[in-house]
Amino acid sequence: MSILISPPVFAAESVEPAQPPKRHRLRQVAGWVLGLWLLSGVYIVQTDQQAVVARWGRVVEPRVFPGIHYSLPWPIDKVYKLKVRELRRTVVGGQIPDVVLGRQANNSQFFSGDQNLLNIRVVAQYSVSNPRDFLFSTQNPDQVVGLAVESELVRRVAHTKVDDILTTQKLAIQNDILLSAQRDVDSYGAGALLSSINIESVSPPPETADAFRGVAGARSDAFRIVNEADGYANDLIPRARGEADQLLDQANSYANGKINHAQGDASHFEAVAAEYSKSPAVTSTRVYLEVMELVLPKMKKLIVDGNSNLDLSVIGRQDGGNEGTPQR
Amino acid sequence: MTRRTVLLTTAIVGLVLVSLSLYTVSETQFALITQFGRPVRTVTNAGLHGKWFFQRALRFDKRLRVYNPAPSEFLTRDKKNLVIENYVAWRIEDPGRFVQSVGDVPSAEMRLHDIIWSGLSAAIGNADLDSLVSTDQTKLESTSILDSITASSDRAALEQYGLGIEDVRIKRLNLPEQNKQNVFARMRAERGRIAMQYRAEGEEQALALRATADRQKEEILSAAYKESETIRGKGDAEATRIYGEAYAKNPQFYKLTRTLESYKKILDDKTTIVLNSDSDLLKILTRGQGGVK
Repeated sequence: MSILISPPVFAAESVEPAQPPKRHRLRQVAGWVLGLWLLSGVYIVQTDQQAVVARWGRVVEPRVFPGIHYSLPWPIDKVYKLKVRELRRTVVGGQIPDVVLGRQANNSQFFSGDQNLLNIRVVAQYSVSNPRDFLFSTQNPDQVVGLAVESELVRRVAHTKVDDILTTQKLAIQNDILLSAQRDVDSYGAGALLSSINIESVSPPPETADAFRGVAGARSDAFRIVNEADGYANDLIPRARGEADQLLDQANSYANGKINHAQGDASHFEAVAAEYSKSPAVTSTRVYLEVMELVLPKMKKLIVDGNSNLDLSVIGRQDGGNEGTPQR
Repeated sequence: MTRRTVLLTTAIVGLVLVSLSLYTVSETQFALITQFGRPVRTVTNAGLHGKWFFQRALRFDKRLRVYNPAPSEFLTRDKKNLVIENYVAWRIEDPGRFVQSVGDVPSAEMRLHDIIWSGLSAAIGNADLDSLVSTDQTKLESTSILDSITASSDRAALEQYGLGIEDVRIKRLNLPEQNKQNVFARMRAERGRIAMQYRAEGEEQALALRATADRQKEEILSAAYKESETIRGKGDAEATRIYGEAYAKNPQFYKLTRTLESYKKILDDKTTIVLNSDSDLLKILTRGQGGVK
């Protein structure tokens, strides 16, 4: 992280061949050495870097921005360069043993508020906000950031329900941890700025995975059942509406038919009646006879003398057992 | 020649003395100045400092550091076992006391462990599991427990060992391996119950949807029936009115035609009619011309 400007080595120059004008020569070499030594204080801070300069161990320039700069040469000044823009990453949870943070493998279990165990893996990203603090105030700023995130995660998970962690509260948890872990990092003076907390994976322990999948299955089953019922309703009601329309149509056509019929019959009657009243006797005889012509041919007829008595047994004989009702 | 040697010796001795009496302290350090082993003063600000050549400067790292021991098991007041992993953020605060009472970092960590863990197990033994792990935030006391432990152990550590305790934190809460199986069983049972609840709720919703649909269908159809019968009635009424109006104009003719009309329907081939030869229809047949009036 910090780059130490190493002292220039002039060992080779001090054993230059010493020729006749010895004193003059020596002074020249000493001049060169001094010049080079002074020059060695020039340093460059790259675009993505900031530097801190310490003189005799005491910080004199807490923040040097990119560009070419000069500091007193070694051993007076020491320049620490730091990539401040670089996003650093630390992982909490997960199955991989982590030597830096002293974690063992398989240490991703967290205890939720309703006393369920969950495997959680969180990735925190942060950058250097204060190079001086980052370099000098904690022994291992990366470790401090990781621990702050981890302890806040434990605390947050310990009062959240397992279902909320798995579903709706994920974002809220991330935001809460970002805020509270940043407070911790600030109180430790680690000079780091958390930029994101990301719950990369959260899953029930393998021992209970089946049961959790069962819940997911039940949820989709329930969803399917409801959808089917919805489909049933969506099929039934339009059909009923169609049937209702049909009923109304039939009623309307029935009523219209009745009325039209009545009107037709009425105008027919009125027309005929008008003619009838012109000569009622003739017309009634004509109408009567017309109907008789239509009706009588189908029937069995017995003509009897108006004055003689009728022997009804003839009817039975003629019908051959068929009963007929004498009319009129 | 001798003068030169003397000069050279003086220079060398002087240089050695100067280098012995100057020392630097970096931003990350404290320096403790000892005189023949006895601490005389502590230098806390960084930079170039001077001392007597017979004094020694001992340097100590004053940065915040983390003590991160293996998890340990605690018993809560309601007799639940918990495996808790803590970390302690601490630093050397008083180098004089530190060097006299502790000396080095590993033994400092041992002392910290002694101070803090006895406090921790007492505090956790006085708390229910609910106060550490609960969905009800008002019950949680873990933060205040840890804060009070931090404060009290900080006082003790500073007085006895010259150490400052910045923070005591829980970085992992878990159960002992042998208790986990119970929790897994409970989790599975809970999931089973939730799954059943989902299914039952789905069923309930589906039934309600179907019932509503059936009711709506019934409502639509019965309303349609009602309306259609009303329409039919109105049509019949209108037709009756029209007939009535028309026939009332000539009731006599209506009676004649309607009666004749019904004969067409009433009389069929199974009917036997007995006709009087004196009837209007047959008078002419039986009496010839005389039959006509």
